[in-house]
Amino acid sequence: MTITPVAETATGATQPPSVLRRLGRLMLSEYFVLVLCVAYVLAIAPFVPEILSWEVASNILSDMMPLLVVAIGQTFVLIIAGIDLSVTAIVSMSAVVGASVMTGTGGYLGDTAFAVPGAVLAMLFTGLVIGAINGFSVIRLNMPSFIVTLATRMFFAGAAVWYVTFHSTSSSIANLPESFAEFATGHLFGIPLTVIAAGLIAVVAHVVLSRTRFGRAVYAVGANPRAARVSGIPVERTILFCFLISGVCASVAATIYVSRMQTGSPIVGENILLDVIGAVVIGGTSLFGGKGKIVWTVFGVLFLLLLDTSMKLLGASLFAIYIIKGGVILLAALVDVARNRWLVGR
Amino acid sequence: MALNRRDFTLASLAAIAASSGLTLAVKAQGTKTIAVLFDGLYSEFWVAGIQIIRDELKKRGYEIMEAISDQDDNKQFEQVRAAIARKVDGIIIVQTDSNAVIPAIKAANAANIPMVHFNRPPAQSDAFSVAIQADNQKIAREAVDYACTVAQKSGKKHQAAILIGDLGDPNAIQRRDGFQEAVDKYPDAIEVVAKIPTEWNADTAFAGLTNALQANPDISFLFTSSDFLLPQIQQALKTADKWHKVGEDGHVILTGFDGFPDAYALMKDGYMDACGVQNLFFETQLAIQAILDLGEGKKVEKLLLDPGFAITQANMNEKASEMWGYVLWKEKNPG
Repeated sequence: MTITPVAETATGATQPPSVLRRLGRLMLSEYFVLVLCVAYVLAIAPFVPEILSWEVASNILSDMMPLLVVAIGQTFVLIIAGIDLSVTAIVSMSAVVGASVMTGTGGYLGDTAFAVPGAVLAMLFTGLVIGAINGFSVIRLNMPSFIVTLATRMFFAGAAVWYVTFHSTSSSIANLPESFAEFATGHLFGIPLTVIAAGLIAVVAHVVLSRTRFGRAVYAVGANPRAARVSGIPVERTILFCFLISGVCASVAATIYVSRMQTGSPIVGENILLDVIGAVVIGGTSLFGGKGKIVWTVFGVLFLLLLDTSMKLLGASLFAIYIIKGGVILLAALVDVARNRWLVGR
Repeated sequence: MALNRRDFTLASLAAIAASSGLTLAVKAQGTKTIAVLFDGLYSEFWVAGIQIIRDELKKRGYEIMEAISDQDDNKQFEQVRAAIARKVDGIIIVQTDSNAVIPAIKAANAANIPMVHFNRPPAQSDAFSVAIQADNQKIAREAVDYACTVAQKSGKKHQAAILIGDLGDPNAIQRRDGFQEAVDKYPDAIEVVAKIPTEWNADTAFAGLTNALQANPDISFLFTSSDFLLPQIQQALKTADKWHKVGEDGHVILTGFDGFPDAYALMKDGYMDACGVQNLFFETQLAIQAILDLGEGKKVEKLLLDPGFAITQANMNEKASEMWGYVLWKEKNPG
């Protein structure tokens, strides 16, 4: 059996390109992770045929949405060569604040027509405030984003648990309006509402990054902040906006989680940090800043979810899933380092 | 034979489809599957519980789909949906939060897959599932009542502390209430000076108890809502020079809950006065029978109670053999 691909050489003769060159080209391709997704599904399908079913595909899509929204915000921060470790605490804090506003058991706006819109606004505001604290700490106090967001993560994760003690006799806030739960379960023209919301955020983020002056500033700040400043780019403002975007995205994810679980829990989202950063890095956004795309993040989240779902279907233990995911993320980070060195070498 | 890329791709896809179909066909003829979804294996109670369930299901010819959510309600919801997608025949679940599990129950109801909660009931809702639960309040009350009589006999008033579990877990609330009911009957002998939240976290419990002992150095009566905190309690009491046997000066009247092997060992060695015991063997049997009955379309009550019992220094010899912790302790310490 022979497979006969054809390639033109400089001399005009037809000659198959080398496997290494093909592999290199594939790895540098924008769609490398998407190809990996397809290859992975084909490889795993004989062991878990359910992965090809509509039901599982639909599960993957809805599981993707909250993670994707947080990862989109994280993409902005990673492109400016920062990191936002506080996204998990933003999710938790927004979740309990929102739930405390709309719960029918003593909520601030419980049982009123303003319960749901008020809660959503409160959640977004929470994300915005924590994002602002992160951003101002980085630009005004010159603190590394790693330390700032680690500190806010700890602070707000604790604050979320503490906040619940004032609003519920249990460790979570329940009895949320049915209309809010419909956000996670409802459809518009057959498309889940969460998919529409996350899709809109992804499109807007893509346009902002690729078609606006702010987007160009984000890449410039990430690639070389000094050069960006000399070129007249408002570096501080750009950094601040990136953290604000990350905060708001995390709070939007909180609305999806709360709506899905119909509960405001202070530990919701506590374990997603590895998945968020992992998905962005697997997608190809550079940890060194200056490089990244929303579509890559979409592919990264998809790949991680495929991995996660297939492992669940296989009945793999949580520890095995952690090991495999950790290995894949490490590999993606190594590829990023190798690519970076190769580009510097050129 | 020459094969172009298109033919190769088509042939590969056909082969995968065929093998997938074959796997499905084999599964269709195969054994029934029960999903066993725990939120963590944080103590010997859960490790022993999942092992007994595994052994029992295998003995009955069932295949098991197992998953741990690491106290992540959203992840557990995804695991439930994965189990539904695999078309399992039943789900035995231990959730973290009694409210957050309700969407998972509704999803199982919609897929017509029976769900049984092992040891932790969900919050009230219109969704249907069966919960197996120890009669926590009664067991805690009986165990603490014995400890209160010991305190009363000492002729002095004791300052008491309670280590409370995660308040999202109804078990924790009921144990706390059982403790309160018992101590309320002995106002002359017991004064509660510290209610220490643990969130079912050993580090939190250790820090909380250490602080409470510093703030109230006269604490001489302690109830823990779970035996898995005993190593931390022992450490904190030793540090405060309060780790003494029953009858010795400075002994802290200690009551546990669950019936761990460690609890039996401490009772045998005379450091612990009483322990509320959940009958783990009975609870696992109830869970498995419930899931099988539901699968066969039989009617099962929404709540199945394990009456449990209190083991004390007074009845230890006669009750020990009913304690799961004693059985495990005996396996490790034969002779």
